[in-house]
Amino acid sequence: MKTEYRIIIVGAGIVGCSIAYHLAKFGESDVLVLEKNYISSGSTGRCAGGIRQQWSSPHNVLLAMRSVKLFERMREETGFDIEYRQGGYLVLSYDEQEAAQFEENVKMQKNLGLNVELLTPNQVKQRFEYVNVEKVLLATFCPTDGHANPHLANFAYAFAARKLGVTILTHTEVLAIEPTGSKFKVHTSRGRFEAKIVVNAAGAYAGQVGSMVNVNLPLESYRHQILVTEPIRNFFDPMLISFSGNFYIRQTKHGHFIMGQGDKDERPGLNYNVTFKFEKDLAKKMCWLLPFLRTLRVVRHWSGHYNMSPDAQPIIGESPELANFYYAVGFSGHGFMLAPAVGEALAEKVLFGETKHVSIAELNVDRFERSTVRETNVV
Amino acid sequence: MVKTQLLVVGGGPAGLCGAIEASRRGVETLIVDEGVELGGQLVKQTHKFFGHEGFYASVRGFEIAKRLKDQLNEHVKIMLQTTVTGIYEDVVVLYDRQNDVPLEVQADYILLATGASERFIQFENNHLPGVYGAGAVQTLMNQFMVLPGRRFLMVGSGNIGLIVSYQLLQAGAEVAAIVEIADRIGGYDVHLRKIKRFGIPVLLRHTIKKALGQEKVSGAIVVQVDENFQPIEGTEKEFAVDAICIATGLVPSVELAAMANVKIEYVPELGGFVPYRDQNMRTNVENIFIAGDLAGIEEATTAMIEGRIAGLTIAQSITKANLSREIESLQRELIEFRSGPFSEKVRRGLAKFFPQRVVEYSREPQVDSGPVGKLRPIIECYENIPCNPCQTSCPTGAIVVGGNINSLPKIDYEKCTGCGICVSKCPGLAIFMVQENVEPGFDLVIVPYEMLPVPEEGERVIALDRDGKQVCEAQVIRIVRFPHKTNLVHLKVPAGYATRVRNFRVKKQENVFVCKCEEVTLEDIEKAIDLGFTDYEELRRYLRIGMGMCGGRTCRSLVLSILSRKLGKSPEELLKGHFRPPVMPTKFESILRGESNED
Repeated sequence: MKTEYRIIIVGAGIVGCSIAYHLAKFGESDVLVLEKNYISSGSTGRCAGGIRQQWSSPHNVLLAMRSVKLFERMREETGFDIEYRQGGYLVLSYDEQEAAQFEENVKMQKNLGLNVELLTPNQVKQRFEYVNVEKVLLATFCPTDGHANPHLANFAYAFAARKLGVTILTHTEVLAIEPTGSKFKVHTSRGRFEAKIVVNAAGAYAGQVGSMVNVNLPLESYRHQILVTEPIRNFFDPMLISFSGNFYIRQTKHGHFIMGQGDKDERPGLNYNVTFKFEKDLAKKMCWLLPFLRTLRVVRHWSGHYNMSPDAQPIIGESPELANFYYAVGFSGHGFMLAPAVGEALAEKVLFGETKHVSIAELNVDRFERSTVRETNVV
Repeated sequence: MVKTQLLVVGGGPAGLCGAIEASRRGVETLIVDEGVELGGQLVKQTHKFFGHEGFYASVRGFEIAKRLKDQLNEHVKIMLQTTVTGIYEDVVVLYDRQNDVPLEVQADYILLATGASERFIQFENNHLPGVYGAGAVQTLMNQFMVLPGRRFLMVGSGNIGLIVSYQLLQAGAEVAAIVEIADRIGGYDVHLRKIKRFGIPVLLRHTIKKALGQEKVSGAIVVQVDENFQPIEGTEKEFAVDAICIATGLVPSVELAAMANVKIEYVPELGGFVPYRDQNMRTNVENIFIAGDLAGIEEATTAMIEGRIAGLTIAQSITKANLSREIESLQRELIEFRSGPFSEKVRRGLAKFFPQRVVEYSREPQVDSGPVGKLRPIIECYENIPCNPCQTSCPTGAIVVGGNINSLPKIDYEKCTGCGICVSKCPGLAIFMVQENVEPGFDLVIVPYEMLPVPEEGERVIALDRDGKQVCEAQVIRIVRFPHKTNLVHLKVPAGYATRVRNFRVKKQENVFVCKCEEVTLEDIEKAIDLGFTDYEELRRYLRIGMGMCGGRTCRSLVLSILSRKLGKSPEELLKGHFRPPVMPTKFESILRGESNED
């Protein structure tokens, strides 16, 4: 078995696979991806699959806009139908302060070239008659937002990367990383590998991977729960979401409704259990919002993790303390949708020393030494 | 009261051709037909006709009907869904079924082209729904697009039994067997070969004894017969079929002729009771003519020629123009058509009315199968039937049927360029192209194919021999599609198989479901594993296995065993995957009800 590579990526979620794919696409296929479980076993395979460009932070808007361009080409590029659907994101606000912020956000988003509009509750009702708009103050809608099947998108990048010569080893857990100056020795459950460059794309486990080389990444993982119903005929185009209302919901290509909410009382840490309280709370909230859901059956309920950074924006770049140690972590619940642009940008940064499409300069860890503005558009 | 110079009863090939010839010469003609469209039996015929180009050889029956209709001119009036209920002393009465009213007609001449009805046979439970005449099956299937059964027993191996069997296969039905009471096949050898290539068994010296079923046919018992056509006890065989198709012959529909005082004679060789007529199709009644199956059970080409002779003779009587040259030319056509061995019976029958002549034809078969390695046609036409499109379609004159249309085709491989036109033209689908060693280890066979689905280029299919037996795997390397729907499928077969492969079967998509909730098949799973998916959870996420209502209860262990088999790992080594609540899908409103109970 080959043990020396130019680049080792830790984590075969969509971020790791997107980085690997883009490295190979740009000509560098001497890449090994190490995955302790299986492809999509972490946060990617547990997320709802939303693809949103409506953010309060300009960095996130730009990354997301670039991602949408890449999602649009993904089928053509990888040969996988990832069930990508641009049905728009309808964001509902139930809070006056938030509604005011939305008006600011929309101005900023429009300045960055995003097609987005403000809607009154009545306009929402006219367009989406099945939504109960009671208590809604304001909504925003971006028609090029949408959703895709996160599993298939993850496999799309993984298999496309493999096709270009990348090696992905699953069931290979990274136990320790030893920087030796010129290279890294990566000790795994399947033996030792070596590489000049290591990229941390370990999702919920990113903090632990950072600490293996004493790179402190200010990250905490929080459990988020999610459930899915039985399928019905497709009619529900947009992803419906609210930060102040604390929910998101979409209908998948196969007709299932997938939905979730955050929990303010959740303690940091890795926890894959689920609570019945979540089902009860969500049933109440969602049946009020979308009364047609009442007769639908819940078929599956699981949890995953948001790997949170202090400002809810990802931490991407090369470690200022340890050369050739890169990371794309701390996505704070939005790794799936940002993965195409981040993978591309990080691959460019690694190979060419600079990004070509969208800047990630402001997203490195050293931003926390300066002042940073927290992303507020998070469920 | 309607008056017309010529009343044509029956708008099939004979009646239409009579009307065409008469109206072309200015005779005012009224065609009356019971059906919803003109064409008679032609509209149900989806096979290509034999004969020569002058009589639409290589054209499908329903297309011939269209071409004939197009030749009718302004002198022709048509009444459809109308039955001639009687030829009375004073008038002819038509019953217009749509308006529910009789109509009286006086005609100077009548051409009766009423055709035939199906000969029915006696067996136990022959009254059960599901017992059909072959013509009825054709009407339902080809005219009204209704397939009256899924699995048929065909009784009778004349051309109709063979053709309808083939059409049933085309329509997607199964034919369990064809039974024939005689000791030889009644129809053309090329028709027989068409269905044998699909492996349909033909049981000679067998007949149907009994239809099984309470309210409809659910099976059939057939039995072997002795030389006197008596059932041999203990030889019964049972077939699970839901339809029985009777193709045991036709009986001329002589009612109207008899009413019009035409002399009816018993001529078994012509189908039983038939009206007397002369060589010009004139009966003993001066102004009454007959043509087609009414004049003796034969086939559509001779019906068309007879119709034309009748129409010309009537036009000659009315217009006094001398049409003898045209009439004699058509009579010569008839003689040539009837010179072959298949018309021997008809000739014997007709000899009772007027002397029969034959012209000589060649029985000499092709012996040379051509230079090995050259792309060339192999003509498997060994029976003297009146047919020559192979000759007339060949652009280089390499195929010669000879002076008489009943002769066997012969091919000069030096002249043949391997263009393949003859393969697509042959109405009997009896010509194949072969080329040995088209690439190392492989031969090429080109077969004419009229079934659906048409395979894809590159698809692997099961190659069949002349008896429909599986002989090897073949790969479809090219498909040449024709508007007339006889597509030429190029098959790459292992070397040495060019002489054996004459048909193929598309590999059936046999769905073996592993996950029934999400309809994931064994093939889907095996393909995914071959693609590089190595975990139960990866497969689950890629294919949606276990994402249905049962949550994987049924498929989880099945998928693990497939993975185990494909990857050579023990099931314990494979990740078993997650188990997620709720175990039983639960309605939101039920969850809410629990919530309100707590309040």
